[in-house]
Amino acid sequence: MNHESASYKVFKVANVTFLSVLVFVMIFPFLNVLALAFNDPLDSQFGGITIYPRVFTLDNFKLLFANEEVIHALWISLARVAAGTTIAVLVQYACAYAFTLKDVAGRGAILIFLIIPMYFNGGLIPTYLIYSELHVSNTFWVYILPVSFSLYNMVIIRSYLYTIPDSLGESARIDGANDWTIMTRIYMPLSMPIIAVMTLWTAVYHWNDWTTTLYYVTNHKLFTMQYILMQILKEGERVSKLMEEALIKGITVVSSGQPHITPQAIRAANIIVTSLPIIILYPFLQRFFVKGVTLGAVKE
Amino acid sequence: MKAITTKADHVLRPDRPTAVPKWKKKFKKSYFAYLLMLPSVVLTLIFSYLPMPGILVAFQDHNIFAGLWNSPWVGLKHIKEVFQVPLLRDAILNTLMLSVMMIIVSFPAPILLALLINELKNGLFKRGVQTLSYMPHFLSWIAVVGLTYSLLDVDGPINDLKLLLLGADTERTMFLSHQALFVPMLLILSVWKEVGWGTIVFLAAITSIDPSLYEAARIDGANRFQMHRHITLPGLKTTAIIMLIFTLGGLFASNFELVYGMQNPFIDFPVISTVVFSSGIQQGNYSTAAAVGFVEGLVAFTLMITANYIAKKVSRISIF
Repeated sequence: MNHESASYKVFKVANVTFLSVLVFVMIFPFLNVLALAFNDPLDSQFGGITIYPRVFTLDNFKLLFANEEVIHALWISLARVAAGTTIAVLVQYACAYAFTLKDVAGRGAILIFLIIPMYFNGGLIPTYLIYSELHVSNTFWVYILPVSFSLYNMVIIRSYLYTIPDSLGESARIDGANDWTIMTRIYMPLSMPIIAVMTLWTAVYHWNDWTTTLYYVTNHKLFTMQYILMQILKEGERVSKLMEEALIKGITVVSSGQPHITPQAIRAANIIVTSLPIIILYPFLQRFFVKGVTLGAVKE
Repeated sequence: MKAITTKADHVLRPDRPTAVPKWKKKFKKSYFAYLLMLPSVVLTLIFSYLPMPGILVAFQDHNIFAGLWNSPWVGLKHIKEVFQVPLLRDAILNTLMLSVMMIIVSFPAPILLALLINELKNGLFKRGVQTLSYMPHFLSWIAVVGLTYSLLDVDGPINDLKLLLLGADTERTMFLSHQALFVPMLLILSVWKEVGWGTIVFLAAITSIDPSLYEAARIDGANRFQMHRHITLPGLKTTAIIMLIFTLGGLFASNFELVYGMQNPFIDFPVISTVVFSSGIQQGNYSTAAAVGFVEGLVAFTLMITANYIAKKVSRISIF
C-alpha cells in the first residue's frame, strides 16, 4: 500500500497500542505472582506489589520445599511426565506407523473401533466405577495407561508419516531390512519433528493434569504438584498444615506476635513452582507446538 | 520337474496342499502391523469400551456391594429426577447458559485477534505479540485459577488499581465472592487463556489466501476494510466452521477445571460437571450422577451432530 490514508494511519497506531495492552494483560498476572512469591509475606499485605519484589526473600520457597509431601509430589509429577510421555508416544507412533502399511486386512474395522470412543463414552461415573473394580484407581498407572492412546495424536503422526516417500522403505527392504529395521532405522529418525511435537504435548498434559488425582486417587503418596496447588487454593487444611510445619521447623520467624508467613505467599510460591518449568521451556518449545497445531488443523 | 498349473486347475482343485487360505496369507503379511496396533487396541478396549456398559447404573439404584448386574433396576427414575430435582435442573440451565455465552465470546475472539495481528508488519513486535499471547495456553487451569485468586486478592493489584482510581479511602472488594461477577470471570478467563492459541490456525489460514486476490481488489479501488470484508473473512470461512464444530462438540462438557477451581462457598453456580463430581464421586450417589452424565452426553452428541449437519448444508464442510 503506497498511499496510506489518514484513517489507516490512525488505525495502525490504535492497533499497535491495543496489542501492546493485550500483551501486558497476558503477562502481568504471571509477573505479579512472581514478584509476590519472592516478596516478604507481611510486606505483601500492604498491597501495591506490581512486577518486582519490594522486600526480597526466599522464605516462601524454603517453606514449601521443607515439606516432605510437597517434595514427594514433585517427584511423582516428574515420574509421571517421564513414564507417561514415553509410553504414550511409543504406543501412538507404533499405531500410526501400522496404519500407513499397505494391505493390512481389517485396517478399516480397527480404525472404526478406535474412533467410536471419540463419540460415545461411559462418562465419569461409569469410568470411576470400572477403575475401582479393575484396581487401577489409587495406583500410579491410573495416570499413565488411560491416556496412552490418543486417536487425535495418532492421526497427526500418521499424516506426517504419509509425507515420507514409500521408496525409502522399499529400497531398504530390497537391501534385506525387515519390518522392524525399516520402522526403527528408516522411519523413526525421519519422524523426529513429529515425535518432538507429541513428546511436548504429552509432557505438558501430564505435568498440568490434576483432575485424574481428584477423581481416582486418595492415596497421599500419589499426589502431584498440581493437585497440591489445588488443595492450597481450595482447602484451608493444606495451607494451615504447611504453616504449622514451617513454624515448628523454625523456617518462619514470629515477629511482633505474627508468624512471618501468609496463605497468599504460600499460594504464590506454589503457582510459580508449578508453572515456571513450562514458562522457562516455553520459548524453546513453542515453535514445535505451533508446528503440531498447523499440521493437525490445516489440511487440504 | 515343475508342476504346470493353470487357472482352471486352481479353480477345479481348490484343496491342493499348496493353496494356503487367503486370510492366513494376509495375516502372515500383516502380523507386524497387528503387533504395532495391539497396545492401542487393548488400551482402548480396557479404558474406553469397558466403562461403556457402566452407563446402566443410571437406570438402577446402584449398590457397589451388589455390583452392576445385581443392583435393582428402576427404569427412568433417575433420568426423570434430572429434570425435577432443583439442583440438577439448575445445573443443566447454568451449563446451557454458560455454553451459549462461551460460544458468543470465545469463538469470534481469535478471528478478530488474528486479523489485528495480521495487520502488523513482520518483525519482532509481531512475533512478540504472537508468542506472548499464547503463553497462557500452556499453564494448567488450576494455575490460572491461582493467578486469578492472587490478582483479585484484597491486597492484590486489581484492588490497588481500584484505590488508585477511586481514592485511597475506597473499600477494598472481595471480588471472588461476588455472585454477579462469577460468570463474567469465567468468560474472561477462558478468553485470556485460549485466545492467542486460537489465532494460530487462523493466521495460518490467512497466509494461505491467494495474494493476487488482494492485488485485483486494489486495482478495482477497494480499501483495506473492504478487502478484509470481501477477501479475508470469506477466506477464513472453512477454518472458522471447522473450529465452530469442534467448539460446539466440546462446549456442553462445561469446563470442570475452571468452574470447580473458581467456586467457593459464596458462589452458587452448579454446572453439570461439578454436580456429577460432587454427588457422584464425593457423596456416592452413583445412579443420580450417572443419569446427569447420561443426559449431558446425549445433549452434547446431539449438538455435535446438528452442528455438523448445519455446516454441511450451509457450506458443504463437515468433519465426519
